[in-house]
Amino acid sequence: MASFVGVPIIYWFRIVVTLFFLHFYRTSLSAHEIETQASHFFRSGHTNNWAVLVCTSRFWFNYRHVANTLSVYRSVKRLGIPDSHIVLMLADDMACNHRNPKPATVFSHKNMELNVYGDDVEVDYRGYEVTVENFLRVLTGRLPASTPRSKRLLSDDRSNILIYMTGHGGNGFLKFQDSEEITNVELADAFEQMWQKRRYNELLFIIDTCQGASMYERFYSPNIMALASSQVGEDSLSHQPDLAIGVHLMDRYTFYLLEFLEDIHPASQSNMNDLFKVCPKSQCVSTPGHRTDLFQRNPNSVLITDFFGSVRKVEITMSTMKLNPNNTEKNEIDVNEEMVTTLQHYVDQLPVAEIIHQKPKQKDWHPPDGFILGLWTLIILIFFQTYGIKHLKHVF
Amino acid sequence: MAASLVLVLLIAVTVRAVLFRSSLAEIIAERVEVVSPLNGWKRVVEGLALLDLGVSPYSGDVFHETPLVIYLFHFVIDYSEIVFMIADAITAVALYLAVQDYNKIVFRKQKYTLEAGRYPLDVVELLRTPKEMMYIPIKVAVFYLLNPFTVLSCVAKSTCGLNNAITALFILCTIKGSALLSAIFLALATYQSLYPFTLFAPALLYQLQRQFIPISIHSPRFWIFTSQYGSMYLGSLVVITCLSFFLLSSWDFVTSVYGFILSVPDLTPNIGLFWYFFAEMFEHFRPFFICVFQINVVFYTIPLSVKLKEHPIFLMFMQIAVISIFKSYPTVGDISLYMAFLPLWHHLYRFLRNIFLVSIVLIACSVLFPVLWHLWIYAGSANSNFYYAITLAFNVGQILLVSDYFYAYLRREHHLIHGLYLKKKDGTEETLILK
Repeated sequence: MASFVGVPIIYWFRIVVTLFFLHFYRTSLSAHEIETQASHFFRSGHTNNWAVLVCTSRFWFNYRHVANTLSVYRSVKRLGIPDSHIVLMLADDMACNHRNPKPATVFSHKNMELNVYGDDVEVDYRGYEVTVENFLRVLTGRLPASTPRSKRLLSDDRSNILIYMTGHGGNGFLKFQDSEEITNVELADAFEQMWQKRRYNELLFIIDTCQGASMYERFYSPNIMALASSQVGEDSLSHQPDLAIGVHLMDRYTFYLLEFLEDIHPASQSNMNDLFKVCPKSQCVSTPGHRTDLFQRNPNSVLITDFFGSVRKVEITMSTMKLNPNNTEKNEIDVNEEMVTTLQHYVDQLPVAEIIHQKPKQKDWHPPDGFILGLWTLIILIFFQTYGIKHLKHVF
Repeated sequence: MAASLVLVLLIAVTVRAVLFRSSLAEIIAERVEVVSPLNGWKRVVEGLALLDLGVSPYSGDVFHETPLVIYLFHFVIDYSEIVFMIADAITAVALYLAVQDYNKIVFRKQKYTLEAGRYPLDVVELLRTPKEMMYIPIKVAVFYLLNPFTVLSCVAKSTCGLNNAITALFILCTIKGSALLSAIFLALATYQSLYPFTLFAPALLYQLQRQFIPISIHSPRFWIFTSQYGSMYLGSLVVITCLSFFLLSSWDFVTSVYGFILSVPDLTPNIGLFWYFFAEMFEHFRPFFICVFQINVVFYTIPLSVKLKEHPIFLMFMQIAVISIFKSYPTVGDISLYMAFLPLWHHLYRFLRNIFLVSIVLIACSVLFPVLWHLWIYAGSANSNFYYAITLAFNVGQILLVSDYFYAYLRREHHLIHGLYLKKKDGTEETLILK
């Protein structure tokens, strides 16, 4: 009996002691834990996020490229990057194309389950504005002074940029709008310009075209990670056609990328290694590739939300702060005094009186007198020449 | 006859006034078939407004009319509609009087030839009778005033109406026989748009014929008159140009007006042949093709004058037609001027071969112009090729019209010399081929 009671008692005692210690452990570390949780936010060195999403194909049968870009846009917006930090370039308008049986929509799933066009799409470069020149100018920041802010990539040296490109490509080039191409060398040089001008902290480059891996072969600037949907010599395939719309809706790689991103929320801890596993050969038919040798951090410490989401820097503080501890009373009195001063009114900017009365406009120019004299002398001379001098006597 | 002319004038003025007051006036004023960069009313207003602001109207690519037009409209800009209606009326009256005189001359010539017995016996049906010729002047006035092209051009307030008035006055003075006035009006017409200088040849031929000077290189009277007429023409041209220099104290207008006509920098679509061709041309070949196209306008003068030296008024008709088809910025106003001459040749009706086809082509193309313009520019489902195809078809129709009348005229002349029913030496029927 004593053994039966004794062992459980000792066991109980151990449990109680362990629990007691654990409890202490937890309370003493409650403040510390918040800090460790908070420190997760500051693991990478970036303070803001940008995204440049480019679709380079036009014409109705390239619907899937626009749907690709819009689904990445959707994910990126959902995860927190605002429109002011997204440069969206779509080479053609599929939602309002007259071959679209469902106008104002762009679907990414067959049976029209997911409309990635939505109500709040902001396209920055549309139609014929999507050119190689404009794309490179956006990346390097060398835009004309009249370019609006929405069309600029205003990144700094603490920005993480996501660049997604899709369209038709080949070994070493990507085709823009069926009329020009960007080569992998040009792209690598553009990224080097960005690095030298400190326009990015880290850059994630995703490309979904045929032979996409050739586009990242030539990168040589630090802090670039690249993903492609197919290797050199392979074609990236499209996913599924929709029989009502009549075209293929998405490419396979981006379709599975979208599925993967749908599970990501702003606080998820999934890292890049999970992204590299998206769309294996069994699903994609092509072999997706990636390149991390230029990247300085370990990919498994890079969060998906480092590129796809937006950093929200939150500082947790326990102390209180006073604003203007000395001058609060004086400020109030000054405010009251200012209210009593004289009323201001605007200077009369438009001559309203003149507009209302509609004065006829003054004709300031008059033909020179010499001209009038010469012209009428000639006319009179010819008149008398034709009809004879004898008429002169009737005049005088 | 004067009464019917007045009636026609009244009807024409009413039609134009009604259209001016309706909302169609703005739509018509923007149609590219009716206004061209040279003679649009919008551009005249812009030029005058620039002048009021103290800037030369020729700065920038806005205004391409001559300084005399500036001078005219400076004073009458508030009554512009009346000015254009008066211009149309002047054209119609001038053509009426000219054709009346011409008919008298034609009839007199025919009388002399009949009395001299130079016509074969079976051409009685081809001879012109006063009865048939009585209504031609009024028909000419009607053809000009009530032609839809003229009405459109007037409602659009295109300065083409003024150019037509000057050309009609030139024709009137030529037919009346006054060499000085004819030279002055020809100089004015050339000053306005460069191409009427090719009308020098028919005018010269007519004056020589009128004064019974033989048209041969060996005759001294020929050279004296030619040099007189030529110097009057050139002298008045120089005087007018220098006078316009004094208006604005600058020579800008030369490059803006004549440089513009000759070098065709503006490729706005119109009913001519230049725009599409030069839109697709490489810069390297541009000067060559501009020379080719411009020479094409003037090229037909010498051969036609040689062929038609006995018939200067028909030559003038053909020359005006060639100018309005091949000029760099044609509009429908130019077409209406030579179409006004068609009643003069209505005795050629029996020899015209393609007149039905040509008239259908012209009507169909005129209707299709706005349709294909709309499809190209607004609906976006056609492109410039469609519009140029209609332009080409329209111009081919015009060329067919002119060449058809040419054939008919020459055939009638041939019949007048050789008899109506042509027989070969052995008595069978012969056919006539235009080579």
